[in-house]
Amino acid sequence: MEFAILAVPFLFALFVALPTTPKFLKREYLTWLSTAILSGLFVWLLTYYPTIRDQGYVVAAWEWVPALNLTFSIYLDGLALIFALIVTGIGAMVILYAGYYFETDEQTQRFFALFFAFTGSMLGVVLSGNLLLLFIFWEGTSLLSFALIGFKGKLESARFGASQALIITGGGGLALLAGLMLLGVAAGSFEWVDIFATLKNDQTLISDHAWYTAIMILIALGAFTKSAQYPFHFWLPGAMAAPSPASAFLHSATMVKAGVFILLRLYPALGNTDLWETTLLSVGLLTLFVGAALAIKQVDLKGILAYTTISMLGALVALTGLDNYAGMKAALIGVVGHALYKSTFFLLAGVIDHATGTRDIRQLYGLYRKMPLAAYTSIGVGLSMAGVIPFLGFVAKETLIEAALSAPQSLLITAIVVLSSIFTVVAVLLLVWDVYFRRSLPASIPHQDTAHDEPHHFHAPSLGLLVGPMVLAAASLILGIGLEWLIKPLIEITVPKSFKLLLFPGINTAFILSTLVLIGGTALFLARSTWLRLPDVPLRGTDVYLWVIRQVDRIADLLLTSQNGKLRHYLIVILAAIILFMVAANVEYISGDIDWTIEITGSEDLLKIGLLLLSIASASASVFFKRHLPAALALGVMGYAVAGLFLLQPAPDVALVQFLVETLGTVLIVIMLYRLNRQHRQQVIENLWNTSRLGILRDIFIASAIGLGVGLFAISAVGNRGDREAPVAQWYAENTASEAGVDDIVSAVVADFRATDTLIEIMVFSMAALGVFTLLSLKSLAEKSPEKPTEALPIIATPLTRLIVVVDVLPFALLIALAHVLYAGDLPGDGFTAGVIGGLGVTVWYVVFGYAHTQARLQWLNPPRLITVGLLIAFVNALLPLLFDRPFFALTKWQAFPDIANLAPSSTMIFEFSIFITVLGAISLIMATIIQPSSTEEASA
Amino acid sequence: MTILFAMTTGILFGIGVFQLLRRDLVKSAMGFYILFTAVNLFFFAAGVFDGERPAYVSETDRGQISDPLVQALVLTAIVISFGTYAVLLALLNVSSQRFKSIDLDEINQLQK
Repeated sequence: MEFAILAVPFLFALFVALPTTPKFLKREYLTWLSTAILSGLFVWLLTYYPTIRDQGYVVAAWEWVPALNLTFSIYLDGLALIFALIVTGIGAMVILYAGYYFETDEQTQRFFALFFAFTGSMLGVVLSGNLLLLFIFWEGTSLLSFALIGFKGKLESARFGASQALIITGGGGLALLAGLMLLGVAAGSFEWVDIFATLKNDQTLISDHAWYTAIMILIALGAFTKSAQYPFHFWLPGAMAAPSPASAFLHSATMVKAGVFILLRLYPALGNTDLWETTLLSVGLLTLFVGAALAIKQVDLKGILAYTTISMLGALVALTGLDNYAGMKAALIGVVGHALYKSTFFLLAGVIDHATGTRDIRQLYGLYRKMPLAAYTSIGVGLSMAGVIPFLGFVAKETLIEAALSAPQSLLITAIVVLSSIFTVVAVLLLVWDVYFRRSLPASIPHQDTAHDEPHHFHAPSLGLLVGPMVLAAASLILGIGLEWLIKPLIEITVPKSFKLLLFPGINTAFILSTLVLIGGTALFLARSTWLRLPDVPLRGTDVYLWVIRQVDRIADLLLTSQNGKLRHYLIVILAAIILFMVAANVEYISGDIDWTIEITGSEDLLKIGLLLLSIASASASVFFKRHLPAALALGVMGYAVAGLFLLQPAPDVALVQFLVETLGTVLIVIMLYRLNRQHRQQVIENLWNTSRLGILRDIFIASAIGLGVGLFAISAVGNRGDREAPVAQWYAENTASEAGVDDIVSAVVADFRATDTLIEIMVFSMAALGVFTLLSLKSLAEKSPEKPTEALPIIATPLTRLIVVVDVLPFALLIALAHVLYAGDLPGDGFTAGVIGGLGVTVWYVVFGYAHTQARLQWLNPPRLITVGLLIAFVNALLPLLFDRPFFALTKWQAFPDIANLAPSSTMIFEFSIFITVLGAISLIMATIIQPSSTEEASA
Repeated sequence: MTILFAMTTGILFGIGVFQLLRRDLVKSAMGFYILFTAVNLFFFAAGVFDGERPAYVSETDRGQISDPLVQALVLTAIVISFGTYAVLLALLNVSSQRFKSIDLDEINQLQK
């Protein structure tokens, strides 16, 4: 059942992405449905509360890839529940807002689909019970964040921000993966349940492990990049190019908290060590301070929000670093409090942008009169963010200061926290006072020209845009007042030690400091005209990032200079590298004891030597023949010589195919040569034979080196086989009769033992045929007219040859082919042979009658249809057994079938038949395509 | 005997590569064809049995049969190499039609 929590968002994302959805689901209904779904999930998650309180956690598991330790499992404990409630609860409000935010239906649809996919991934991160599963969802959030930041992909800033965020968080994700894998191996399990159970008995299992430092650093890297910790913080301001609802959801409430989540999650395993405390405290505090300090210098509303988010994330990381769960309570309250007020601010920033056309605070003032509801809302969340009683933000700040006071080096830490909080108060005042309540733009700040030269026509936000923020702001207040009833129970089931949590614990040090923060912040805000003039920090993270990217580009450019665009040079480099590897790998075997003796035991061996020499001689002849046609014929001789070798091996099946294909290949190239433009051929022949001697010498050298390398490899491969045991070949020989029920072992291997291979091979062959077809004549064949051909028959089509072809060649070819199929099991020949024989028959037609006449007369022989039918039979034959609970390709043996005319029908016959049909179709297609006169040539002729 | 097959493989491979490096695309395609043949020959050389009889179950009593595994591999490889050859020649044709040349160096010049 728990799986449904994850499945629902993903399925809904798919549903929204369907092209038909917007047609029957209006935008309003889609919005309300989305809100209802997320609210439903929120309530559903709440129902797990009693179980988690009593049992500690809920688990569900489904074995996914057991070999990789990958289980699809869910682990829902207090921590996961808090985060999942934030995701669904805030998600419900953000999606409600988003329904009214976008201008076009297309944008709405795209955003909703991405949003729900993200929601699913984010829930996956917090709920997954398996380390590797968590990583998959973790990467999912990074990818969807990329898509959402780049939502307005036409803007350069959006593309840049998106790729920057992806590179930083993706790089951190890789570190996280390595860390999680080490952790899983060290802990002996990839399941949270098992890991935590083990840790209960042996608390220092991981922290005393030899890999602890590596695990800790790698996982921290993943968490720090995701949660925008210094010095990786800069991607978050860059991510502000995302639409406001995405910023509110991903970049304040949920995704950036994933880093904090994983640190909290791993606290029992990795926490409570010096390394943990030092790293997290220093990085977190640095981020807390830098973020807050940079925030108040921003002029973009969303920039301020981004930097204060960074600051808060730093505080959360620092709190997680404290020993003995001291900061966990504060961290959890901080997570909830910050998620509520910051997402509201982001949504309101979107409202302001919509209404006024700018987010520049130097341009904004007095919006209170124009949109009072937004102003009230922002006062509410502003008070929460500044930490004013009784909002939840107040509790968050109180607990933060309280934790700082009890931390080691409390003076320094408290000072940083207090100073950063003062900056935060300034930021709140900038966001609320300046934007809504100041009467006019101050003269001291020079009015700067922005992209909006003309004053933007103000239009008031619709109520739909304001409902979400208002609910979230109200939640900040209600959760603060109802702290002990609403928040405390959740934290009680998460923090494994007792604590006190009151809205107002009385006037203590923390409260006094908190009050001082408010006063200091207001004072600093009032004096802003003095420090706003200070210069900006010169070095920005983005600059460093850009520098790195530029260096990568430069290295790439450097590599590019080695590319001169000449294919032959690339070929030489590739081949030379292969040869070097081959020689290096084989040199020791060659020096070993290879049996170099050549035994010549009879005339057969002499014949083999003769054929080997013939093949070499004819291959060389193809080099030396100046004209193409003799060279092609020489190649044919080489093929026949090799076929003869196969025959002597003895390998009758292969020899048969080789003879036939060789014939076909020779016909093919002869026709092709005829088809090629004569001038082009003449030109290239002249060019070739006038090539510089140096080039030829170089090529000879390369060819010799490669020939030598391959030769040495072949010799060492053949000559070092020891006692020549052949378990595979032997197995085939012994089992062919019983398993395949045929006599011909080669046929059995092709059509039975390795049938899947063969199935793929006939597909490849068909694809090659279709490739030839698309390359040469897709257009002209589509315009094929079945009318009577006008052109005259070729000269070769004398009455006698016509008679022979029509009466003898094709019918007999098909008959012989059929015989090959039927007797494939016991005699030489198989489906391939049959296909090639049939193909030869068709080819003769084309040669004698020419293209047009053959097309007209052989209409029943439709090559594409043959290929389709052949492949269809092959697939049905392969898949049918699955219906009867038998393995792929495992048809019943037909040995019970009566033996008519020595047919010996076997299980492979149907497959052989489909091979025949497919190969016949493919060859006919190739031949038809090649013989067909091309339209362009006719035009140029 | 298999050593001779292996040596021939090397020699044919050398010739094939030399053909492949020609600027004449027809000769390049022929080079491919020689490489296909060389590789098939190598498979045969790599067969484990130096057989006297063809690879049939009924022949196993009458002497050593030739290695059926390499035969099955080569059998399909022959047909596939024909298909590849056909595609290469078709590409050649396209090059002739589109670039008005089948000289690799001239086509390279065209790009600049």
